Amino acid sequence: MYIIIVGCGRVGSELAGLLSSEGHDVVVIDKNPLAFQRLGNTFNGLTLVGNGYDLELLKRAGIERADAFCAVTNGDNTNLVSAQVAKKIFKIPKVIARVYDPQRAHIYAALGLEVISGTILFAAMLRDKIIESRFSSYLIETKELGVLEIEVKDNLVGKNIQEINLPGEFLVVAIRRLEGVILPEINTVLKAKDILMAVVKVSSLKKIRAKFNL
Amino acid sequence: MHILIVGAGKVGYFLAKRLAESKHVVTIVEKDKSICTEIAKELEVLVVNGDGCDPRILEEAGAKRMDVVAAVTGDDEDNLIICQLAKEVFHLKRTVGRVNNPQNEHTFAELGVDIPVDATKIIAKIIEEEVSFSDFVNLMSFKRGKLAIVRVDLPLDSPVINRAVKDIPLPKDSVLISILRKEAVIIPKGDTILMAGDDVIALTSVGNEPQLLNLLVGKLE
Repeated sequence: MYIIIVGCGRVGSELAGLLSSEGHDVVVIDKNPLAFQRLGNTFNGLTLVGNGYDLELLKRAGIERADAFCAVTNGDNTNLVSAQVAKKIFKIPKVIARVYDPQRAHIYAALGLEVISGTILFAAMLRDKIIESRFSSYLIETKELGVLEIEVKDNLVGKNIQEINLPGEFLVVAIRRLEGVILPEINTVLKAKDILMAVVKVSSLKKIRAKFNL
Repeated sequence: MHILIVGAGKVGYFLAKRLAESKHVVTIVEKDKSICTEIAKELEVLVVNGDGCDPRILEEAGAKRMDVVAAVTGDDEDNLIICQLAKEVFHLKRTVGRVNNPQNEHTFAELGVDIPVDATKIIAKIIEEEVSFSDFVNLMSFKRGKLAIVRVDLPLDSPVINRAVKDIPLPKDSVLISILRKEAVIIPKGDTILMAGDDVIALTSVGNEPQLLNLLVGKLE
């Protein structure tokens, strides 16, 4: 894959190293040229100095043929703007933004951007370590069971949960909307831009992908 | 109107002052506490100390009740996010975002800012006109820069001199509004004859500005 990473801090450089060692083509962008020292001398990707949402710089980074784009600077707004530029202006298929502020993370996730908030994840993981009896929301994935996140597109709008669930194979457990997360009932109707969280049997994954055109 | 201004630098301060003077209800959000204290003393506006990119602060500033938000901080990414939050979370109909770096104007428009205002470009354009001693002056632009009112001093060798207005092939979307001849103001009709030294005022779409200039001044620049 051809992957662009904006931000060469600890996370950005670690990610660049991982992807590049797996044989992917990686371009890293950072405002500060000294940041690239973190990549070490084994990194064989490209580095560019500048702003992660500068259209000209992104074109030079080869964004028009990129498969994935990750904005992981330490600035939430920079990441949100860069990610939206990649997604909406350059139509990159896979775009991920790192967002520290949980509230902004929720809002932009509900608006359809793929957002990872280290703050939310890490706090939840710590909670799960401290209160061990508590069911851990982030350890639900096993060999037999997976969690799917599905954005509601035209083919699902207007359907209700009963029409979508496949008993024993696929179960929608939560819907994320701008107003908040809801736990659906069988007659809950799907709206455009809803994000479905569903539990799926791993053995039924192929079937589900085909059914929903994923 | 209820107007929310985020960022109280020179632009934000001056804007708040003017809007408050014309009896709008103005609320300012500013990060810097000492600036907030100053403004609260000087202006009749509500001041909220905090980061305008934080939805909680926008809520506290009453974003829900606002008719319009103007994000005028010195950071383009902040202005863009503020406008998006105002629109998506608080459902404001009108968002104005200051563009600091002209490169970002396109991005603002693409990502949903209703009215990006590119101060750098506007100032550069005015200065460019002033320093180039042109016969052609842009008096004002509106409709987000798509339409302009321009003034052209007809030079002695202008190809339209001694011709009637109806015989001049004006470019599409251009119209002559008035002619200043010495002290007189003439509203041009079809049979009005243009003369050397006339100041012609015209309304034109910005795309056709060069053709209009070419027609009236007789040289393509």
